[in-house]
Amino acid sequence: MPGVANSSLLALRDRIRHIERPARHGVLPFGVAALDCALPGGGLALGAVHEILGAGGDEEDGAAAAGFAAGILARLGTAPVVPAGNGIVLWCLRRPDLYGPGLVAYGLDPARLVLVRASRDDEILWVVEEGLRAGLASGLAAVVGEIGQLPMVAGRRLQLAAERSGIIALILRRWRSATEAAAERDRPSAALTRWRVAALPSADIANEPGIGRPRWRVALLRVRGGEPGIWDVEAADATGHVSLSAELADRPAAPARLRAEPPNSSEKRRRAG
Amino acid sequence: MPSLPTHLKNGDVPAEEAPFATISTAGGRRLIAAVNPAAAAAGLAPGMKLADALSFQPGLATAAAEPAADAAALDRLAEWCGRYSPWTAPDGAPGDVGGVKIEITGCAHLWGGEAALAADLARRLLRQNIAHRIAVAGSLGAAWALARFAACAKEPSQPVLPGPGEERAALAALPVEALRLDPVTAAGLRRVGLKRIGELTAMPRDALARRFGEAVARRLDQAFGDLPEPLSPLGEAPSRRVRLSFAEPIADPADLARAAERLADDLVVRLAREGMGARRLDLAFHRIDGRVEHIRLGTARPSRDPQHLASLLAARLETIDPGLGVEDMILAVFAVEPLAPEQMALDGRLDMAASGIAPLIDRLGARLGLDALRHIEPHESHIPERASRCAPIDKGESRKNREKRRLGSPSPPPGAERFGVRWGIPGRSSAPTSPSHAFGAGPSLSPLKGGEGIIGGRGKPPRPVRLFTPPEPIEASWLLPDDPPFRFTWRRRAHRVRRADGPERIAEEWWIEVGTMAPMVTDAIRDYYRVEDAEGRRFWLFRAGLPGAPPPRWFVHGLFA
Repeated sequence: MPGVANSSLLALRDRIRHIERPARHGVLPFGVAALDCALPGGGLALGAVHEILGAGGDEEDGAAAAGFAAGILARLGTAPVVPAGNGIVLWCLRRPDLYGPGLVAYGLDPARLVLVRASRDDEILWVVEEGLRAGLASGLAAVVGEIGQLPMVAGRRLQLAAERSGIIALILRRWRSATEAAAERDRPSAALTRWRVAALPSADIANEPGIGRPRWRVALLRVRGGEPGIWDVEAADATGHVSLSAELADRPAAPARLRAEPPNSSEKRRRAG
Repeated sequence: MPSLPTHLKNGDVPAEEAPFATISTAGGRRLIAAVNPAAAAAGLAPGMKLADALSFQPGLATAAAEPAADAAALDRLAEWCGRYSPWTAPDGAPGDVGGVKIEITGCAHLWGGEAALAADLARRLLRQNIAHRIAVAGSLGAAWALARFAACAKEPSQPVLPGPGEERAALAALPVEALRLDPVTAAGLRRVGLKRIGELTAMPRDALARRFGEAVARRLDQAFGDLPEPLSPLGEAPSRRVRLSFAEPIADPADLARAAERLADDLVVRLAREGMGARRLDLAFHRIDGRVEHIRLGTARPSRDPQHLASLLAARLETIDPGLGVEDMILAVFAVEPLAPEQMALDGRLDMAASGIAPLIDRLGARLGLDALRHIEPHESHIPERASRCAPIDKGESRKNREKRRLGSPSPPPGAERFGVRWGIPGRSSAPTSPSHAFGAGPSLSPLKGGEGIIGGRGKPPRPVRLFTPPEPIEASWLLPDDPPFRFTWRRRAHRVRRADGPERIAEEWWIEVGTMAPMVTDAIRDYYRVEDAEGRRFWLFRAGLPGAPPPRWFVHGLFA
């Protein structure tokens, strides 16, 4: 009997998953088993909104977050799930400090970018939504918005627009002050996932002084239908791929995730989405 | 008949029953500047002294004349007359009665003939309480003369419409002032007994020119249409125009949007026939109170997609105040470009212009301005802020020009269009130096490892993802002249440097004009260091100026991911 109940439960779960379909438009795998296992569908869902936060002093500038996003966008350009003609990235920002030559290092061709500069958050939200509404026919691969405040309703609108069009939206959160950051950091949103990318001290290269391989601490803070976790990775390479840091790669994935699980319970509660 | 202008004339004073006049002050005397019909009937005329006027019209209401406001009103009226023809212009010499010139060649049939057009114009002007006189004639000069001098005798608001053969006769009967002569010349003609235009035509032309100047003969020829006189229209004349009139004025936004759609449809049919696409559009809303509201917009590339155009217009509809109602909408195209049925990218590269993104760009540009949309372009330069530029999104010609410029530049790298080469980071510094110091106490320092830090850096030093313009000054502490700082304070936060790469020396490009580095950094030489603090954040710092006196200054120029 328990076996029957179990199987019907599994079938029910499958059905629910099918109805929710977080990965209806396909996923973009990271190519790192530990990360992909934590995400529903085995990768970053297309047709969804993903939030990327900075950490510490970088919350204001989002440099690491931009690097992480650039890696994702670079892989998106060559991913089989994205139609061949779709390569343009609409990147909306308030402060035009994005530097083309720096993006090349993560495999993102700046020629693919269309920068939109707007002065207010609500304008940027509008641009992101317009981009998502334009659909795949517009040749867009992704929309990136750098905003400070993401109200629940606005986030929900974006999520719905993304689900309809199948375009991925990356929201880079940039807060202008510590007070804004404190107010916004833990506020829930309608995004499918929330990431926090922090720079880690670089890995030493044998017999070489100076800065080694840049590393990030990538935290998946919230994910609907997945498993939050924290991983230390090497920064995206010229093809946009991150890789697990050497000391982590030696271990099996599960203990790494356990070890990485944040100790405070608030992170755990948010897992439910 | 080369042109068929009509001429309407309005005193621009309220046409109420009571006598009314505007007053201007000249040399301490107060003179009447303009009168309304009631005052004119009472015998008042512009140029009279106010005191005289009041002596036999004590109840005269007066107001100060405002020539600037009158001129503006005349401009508005000329714009409103755009409903009849795209070629309209205000005609108001200072001190003269204002008028509006309308070129109706080829337009009259749309209204059922010249008489019907004039009647419609008269009716609408009357509704706005504008006293007017209308004349239609074969030349600008004749219309001017007839409107001002022929209609006086008849019912003032009755349009003057001489038949094809009657124009000469009608003109001949008018006084010489009707020839648009300056008062001195007109007075001179009168002194010798030439009072009517008909008397002038009989005179030998060269004698007339010798005696009274070239102007008389020229004006005479212009009045009779022997000398062409083009009308320079108010603003730019559109290249294509479609118009929609409503039996009842509409004000509902949904109706306006539907009308805009219909106009876009009509326009697209014409554009498609000619193989053109619209680049610049103007949708004018003629309100019943005589005001005209505009939506002006541009497109990123030629377009003749009716849905696209209609959505662009609809997005801006909320800026339009329909007032009491809109009776006419005119969609005009000011710039067109050939639009082939389809476009293809020639090289495998993503071509923004050819992809389907143009409608989106237009939509964003319509709200934020096309200027807000940028493209990152590589540029051959060692100066970081110049190596990558935010250029406006490609627009037809500008792209071609840029292409030309790039080809004309001294050293266009072959295959520069290809990704990778195109976005190659200028690695050579103008004065490449890479001294290496490893010292125990301070941060460990290495010479540039050819971008080994970032995987795949093709032998080039890495560049940040965020670049600050202008660079942000920091307070730095360092030990040896060529060392990176071991500690610095940026945005009121202290950072302790753990690791560093550098320096990479970037000097002013002396072959370009001097002082083009960031305005606040005047020192021509910068030494760049990539440093990592205790948290792991990676900064791009530079020292401006050489070590010594005055002490060099330090800046954060960018952030690495």
